[in-house]
Amino acid sequence: MPAAIDGATTERAIVVAAQRGSDEAFSALVRLHQRRAYSVVRAIVLSHEDAEDAVQEGFLHAHRALDRFRPDQPFGAWLYRIMANAALDLVRRRKVRDADELPDNIALPFRDPAESGELRERLKEALLHLTDRQRAVIVLHDVEGFTHGEIGRTLGIPEGTARSDLHHARATLRRLLQNIRSTP
Amino acid sequence: MTDHRWTPSEYDLTEALRAHYAAPSEPGYWSALEARILAHVARGAHVEGWWSALAEMARPALAAAAVLVLVAGAAVVHTRRIDARDAYASVISAAPPSIETAARTSSVADGDATIDYMLSH
Repeated sequence: MPAAIDGATTERAIVVAAQRGSDEAFSALVRLHQRRAYSVVRAIVLSHEDAEDAVQEGFLHAHRALDRFRPDQPFGAWLYRIMANAALDLVRRRKVRDADELPDNIALPFRDPAESGELRERLKEALLHLTDRQRAVIVLHDVEGFTHGEIGRTLGIPEGTARSDLHHARATLRRLLQNIRSTP
Repeated sequence: MTDHRWTPSEYDLTEALRAHYAAPSEPGYWSALEARILAHVARGAHVEGWWSALAEMARPALAAAAVLVLVAGAAVVHTRRIDARDAYASVISAAPPSIETAARTSSVADGDATIDYMLSH
């Protein structure tokens, strides 16, 4: 795979340049990885806005830790692990804040029944019944196409745990999404 | 109006997940996000720079504080030693007669009293 090798070599050169302090090189790394980074954090946090915050925070952490990265390692795996940690940290902070601030009666967001399919709405609610890790695992696997090994490395869990989380997440969603009322 | 109910297949579920988690597709969005990321990193680097400068300034102050703490600690230890030495010295200088002397004196005195008692009766 010459193209892949070329890509890896190019990326390594960019990483080394960024480690030497080149802002342009770091910008190139952001450009190369921001979509995937967004997908990783979006799998963990609950909203698009939180995903944007987590991506920014993740790149800031990566920038600070760049001199500790060994260029012979895959940069993506290292970066996505940082992204996942930034997202998990944000989820933890949100939970603490929400526990402090949420009123007893939580207003549900406005839904237009004509616009939203029942499945989409029920899925949104069902996803809240998964643990943070189960949700991250099923989204990274089913939506982003990560392998169990990649998920394990990204989330810092054993591969077997990723498999088990995926199994439980699917079972929970299937149970919660039975007998949905179909909308024409 | 009929109420149709169904259970989504794995495929339906995956499709719904993909729709729910779909990343923004407009190219303009990504260039804007890139700019925001770089601005955030630049701000973070700026703040980090200030913290580093403060840390540089704080380092001599911390060293001086550590020396002061050590000196104060040594002074406290020294004072305690002097106090302890004085306390021992005062105990030693004001010591009562030895037990042997005291016992002998009391036994002689007791014997004299016994003899006086016997002579007087």
